[in-house]
Amino acid sequence: MLTRRDILQKCVALGSVLIASQASPEGMLAAFQDREKQIRKPTPPNALGPFYKRLAPVNDVLRAPGDPGMPLTLSGQVFDTRGDIVTDATIEIWQTNHEGYYDVDGYRYRGNRRVDKSGAYTFESVIPGHYPDKSRICQHVHYVVKAPGHKTLVTQLYFATDPVFEGDPVKNYSRDPLIQTPELIRPVMLTGDPNEVRAKVRFELCLERL
Amino acid sequence: MRPSLAILILLHCLATAAPAQTARQEKTIDLPAGVSVEEATISHAGNLVVAICSDHAVRVWSVRSSDLLRTIEGGREPSAVQFSNDDRLLAVAYEIAIYEKGAVKIFDTDSWKVRHDFADEAPVYRLTFSADGRHLAGAGDFVTYIWDLPARKKTATILPPFGGSASLAFSPDGAWVATADGDTFVRVYDASTGALHSATQGGLLEPMTVAFSPDGKTLLTGGVDKTISVVEAASGKISRTIPKQPGLVFFLDVSPNGKHAVVVYRSAERFADINHLALWDLNNGTILADFQKPGITIHGGTFVGDHYLFAVASGKQLTLWSLR
Repeated sequence: MLTRRDILQKCVALGSVLIASQASPEGMLAAFQDREKQIRKPTPPNALGPFYKRLAPVNDVLRAPGDPGMPLTLSGQVFDTRGDIVTDATIEIWQTNHEGYYDVDGYRYRGNRRVDKSGAYTFESVIPGHYPDKSRICQHVHYVVKAPGHKTLVTQLYFATDPVFEGDPVKNYSRDPLIQTPELIRPVMLTGDPNEVRAKVRFELCLERL
Repeated sequence: MRPSLAILILLHCLATAAPAQTARQEKTIDLPAGVSVEEATISHAGNLVVAICSDHAVRVWSVRSSDLLRTIEGGREPSAVQFSNDDRLLAVAYEIAIYEKGAVKIFDTDSWKVRHDFADEAPVYRLTFSADGRHLAGAGDFVTYIWDLPARKKTATILPPFGGSASLAFSPDGAWVATADGDTFVRVYDASTGALHSATQGGLLEPMTVAFSPDGKTLLTGGVDKTISVVEAASGKISRTIPKQPGLVFFLDVSPNGKHAVVVYRSAERFADINHLALWDLNNGTILADFQKPGITIHGGTFVGDHYLFAVASGKQLTLWSLR
């Protein structure tokens, strides 16, 4: 079976790939292959703050029994830009409670965990509230994702159900001055039944290699 | 009394001090219809006030007459403004694309011509000049830049491990730049190279402000954990902390003569509320004035003689207050 390199060399031989460069054909083909592997776009960054607090506990169940607010399951997988699963990433998240308040005295709605062997993660939480100061900042969850050999990702997850977007986050995402792309606004899946409705949001994370 | 010693006395007495005087409203500036102030600061001599307005214009007024002197409309979104220490330059940072592209223009405050124009890969939201006006530093959400103005070039790009800097300050001799970083560190860098000199991790939460003492030996920092810390600039060692401040420590500054300090508090409950300011006498650790007013936002200010002059935004007006 031909390798990708064999196929590319055959393309050069048959003239279906032309190399117009002073670099060596081998080097150009290697660069071509490398670029082909970058099949995923890195997750867009977003501001770190406010209210990052170090030494957050290893904990992926942030919602305590009886907590008010819409129960939320956050899940996803961590990849790199080549599409490879990152199995040694650590994800730290923090958010407000359902009323929009951060816990700065303790570690409520703050936690971190390592991804599993498939690069997957899950956090149990509630949908955060808007800040009580009526600012234009949408509901969000802060993420810091670290993995050896990769650039640390600082970003935020937003919710497509946020009333600020009026149901059209692609059109209205810039109403929040901190959101530079609708990619960070994730759809919300409702599960359960009307007596015990729950929200699920998937947020895949893609890290840049160092 | 030496400024560093005075700061230690302040921190010893901080918890027991009580306000003795109140603020005085000096001037009122009516804003154009439909315009509000997003950020403002006052020149070091106390004669000019500059504001980033909601219509993306930068406006400059005379403090003495309240007359509008200049409107700078760059067609871009201004993200920070700052005067040089001699007030001959005004730096305006612009956000061209959030997180991705920014620019800084430096205006001559006599002619209002652009003296320097830097374009960068990331916007900055905080600006500070070195005391001699030769260097400018700007901090964004992921990076800090230092520019050499006479050489017309960027001399350092500083990347903290993650996150950006909420505040930055040059040492009085211009040798160091200190940053209050979102990852909870206060870092000191060589201003000419950007090389890291020291990193201090005090509180568990992010610091929001950092300032040098006039002798450059000491740093004052404070932040979300409602604590003020004194850091030895050379070693990065914390020499003293005072917890239980009445709010998040959003901004602090020491007067050029080292006799006074101002602390601006941000509400922990309503994050957008920045309406509490205290002026301290560093020699005896007493509060000279305590200013708190609902419905306003306290912006930048400056020490002028024996008082602190600062800008306050409320609705359609920009007002100037002084604490003596």
